[in-house]
Amino acid sequence: MRKFVFAALIVGCAFLAFPGRDAPAAISLEKCTLCHGKPEFRKLLVNGAIRDVFVTQDSLKGSVHEKKVCTDCHFDVSEIPHRVQPKRVTCTHCHFKGNKEGAPQSDNVLAYFESVHGKAIAAGNSKAPLCQDCHGDHQIFKVKNPESKVSKFKVAETCGRCHMEIYAKYKTSIHGVAVGKGIPEAPSCTGCHGEHRIYAHTDPKSTVYSTSVSAQCSKCHASVVIMSKFGIEAEQVATYNESFHGVASKFGSRTVANCSSCHGVHDIRPPEDPLSTVNPKNIPATCGKCHPGATANFAVGKIHVDSKKKESGIIYWTATFFKYLTIGTMLALIVHIFLDMYGRTRRLRGEQ
Amino acid sequence: MPEKDRKETGTETVREEVEAAVAENLPELPPEQAEALKEKIRRRVQAEMEKELRVRAAEGRKEAARIAREERLKEKQEEKGETFLRFNRNFRFQHMVLFSSVILLVITGMPLKFPNFILSRFFINFWGGIGNSTVVHRIGAGMLIYFMVHHFVYTVLTRDGRRDFLLMLPGLQDARDIVQNIRHFLGKTPEKPHFGRFSYIEKFDYWAVYWGCVIMIGSGLFLWFETDVMRFLPKYAVDMAHEMHSDEALLATLAIVIWHFYNVHFNPDRFPGTLLWWHGQLTEHEMKEEHPREYEEIMARRAKESPEGAER
Repeated sequence: MRKFVFAALIVGCAFLAFPGRDAPAAISLEKCTLCHGKPEFRKLLVNGAIRDVFVTQDSLKGSVHEKKVCTDCHFDVSEIPHRVQPKRVTCTHCHFKGNKEGAPQSDNVLAYFESVHGKAIAAGNSKAPLCQDCHGDHQIFKVKNPESKVSKFKVAETCGRCHMEIYAKYKTSIHGVAVGKGIPEAPSCTGCHGEHRIYAHTDPKSTVYSTSVSAQCSKCHASVVIMSKFGIEAEQVATYNESFHGVASKFGSRTVANCSSCHGVHDIRPPEDPLSTVNPKNIPATCGKCHPGATANFAVGKIHVDSKKKESGIIYWTATFFKYLTIGTMLALIVHIFLDMYGRTRRLRGEQ
Repeated sequence: MPEKDRKETGTETVREEVEAAVAENLPELPPEQAEALKEKIRRRVQAEMEKELRVRAAEGRKEAARIAREERLKEKQEEKGETFLRFNRNFRFQHMVLFSSVILLVITGMPLKFPNFILSRFFINFWGGIGNSTVVHRIGAGMLIYFMVHHFVYTVLTRDGRRDFLLMLPGLQDARDIVQNIRHFLGKTPEKPHFGRFSYIEKFDYWAVYWGCVIMIGSGLFLWFETDVMRFLPKYAVDMAHEMHSDEALLATLAIVIWHFYNVHFNPDRFPGTLLWWHGQLTEHEMKEEHPREYEEIMARRAKESPEGAER
């Protein structure tokens, strides 16, 4: 708080001293680029790595912070050369709900601190990402801008900087390929995992928790509008929900199969792909994860079978037989019961 | 008053015994101290004896109440007339196993067919979640399979079982009974059909359970041992078993809840149900009313066996 008051005082003094905002900005940039503007200006880190600290006047150009100056974010820099190493930038300095800086008002910062990344930071993991690790440092753009590091078609690459193996799997999966082709409906990382509210898949709050993941897939896969574009059946969701797997998952079983148990997680591929976990050749192995000793017979017959459709063959006919058997029997029994009650009423009234 | 006498003599002996004991063990005690000690012991023994007497009296009261109850029951039975044993102990046991297993199976199985029904979650969570409820379902299935085996052995090996099975077979008489019963309901004929030991209503119940058991156990085993079944059969066979299991479950539950419950519970003659399943007895009146042909047959057989006894 004291720091903040101090910073506010400095900013206030600056306003008092200079009539316009552009003048100190220009001065600030000039001062910083005096050293940082030299391409060979680098810093050798303790571990031998070299950190590039090259910044020019164009570094912020085009970004959402175009009008900001260096010390707006690097507000702990007060002397040149810096006696104390400047700290990492804290975006929450401006990005909180109710801020006066005109920064977007949202709870995303709070959501981030609850997320798996925010908790890792709080636990002291220096490798966990801060805001700038995903959103970029100087070149921050709005999500809708295709240049943004968190835009639809770039976010997977951004996540992949840390999650490399997963990125490699995802890139060759059907979703990754579709995103690569520029299909906007296909999900990138954030499509399934969420944006700021990313939780570990073992956390019940997670959108990809074992009992929630099928609902997450259903968001697109139950939609006839989206699925018809790609020739995928939308009733896979309904048939799953009616199957024992779907019902047990609904009742909270964490071990029963959900979508990703069979179709894979990041490596989802179309069933025609020989690498797909649901390719008929791989079905014994896939089903065998839970049903030890599964044979090739597991692939004989439709998996997402709908007994109400004629294409289901013998299953449809079984269902139809039982439907009419039940209706017929119940009709006969209920008619008999009502006749019995009618007769009793007659006799009670004294009619014969 | 023999009880009071016993008490008096009891206290007398106790006083003497206490005095003797104190005198023997503590001969040189000052007299007033000895007297206090004796009094203390006497009081404790007295309390102990009174307690014993109270317990005995309670037992006596219970015994008397039991005898009175039995006498009342006997009188009541005499009013009702003779009772006939309709279901023997073995058959009653089979019925109890059957209904316990069916209740377990329905409350753990139906939520899977209707997961959105408001009570489904309750019935699953009642057992501690889906993992446990599937185990309970298999326990119910085990009981149903046991019932089926038991009933099969009963039908083959016991005389009652063989007789009942033959009487259960549907015949032309049942068709005639259905027609007559419906005519009776509609008031076309005052005569109720003369049912034998098993009316067509009961026969339907019996054969519905037979059919249901075969379908449910057969398809249920397919689903229970799906991996072993699919070693020999394709997946659509298991899907078919799943469909049969699900549909026949609904049919069986409806048949029990609508047909069986109407005939044995909600029917005004029986409401809210009789204890026939517990004691297996029918009164003479019920026998004449519901199974007149069987009653006549029993009477005819008795007349043949001992002509003078039939007059009773």
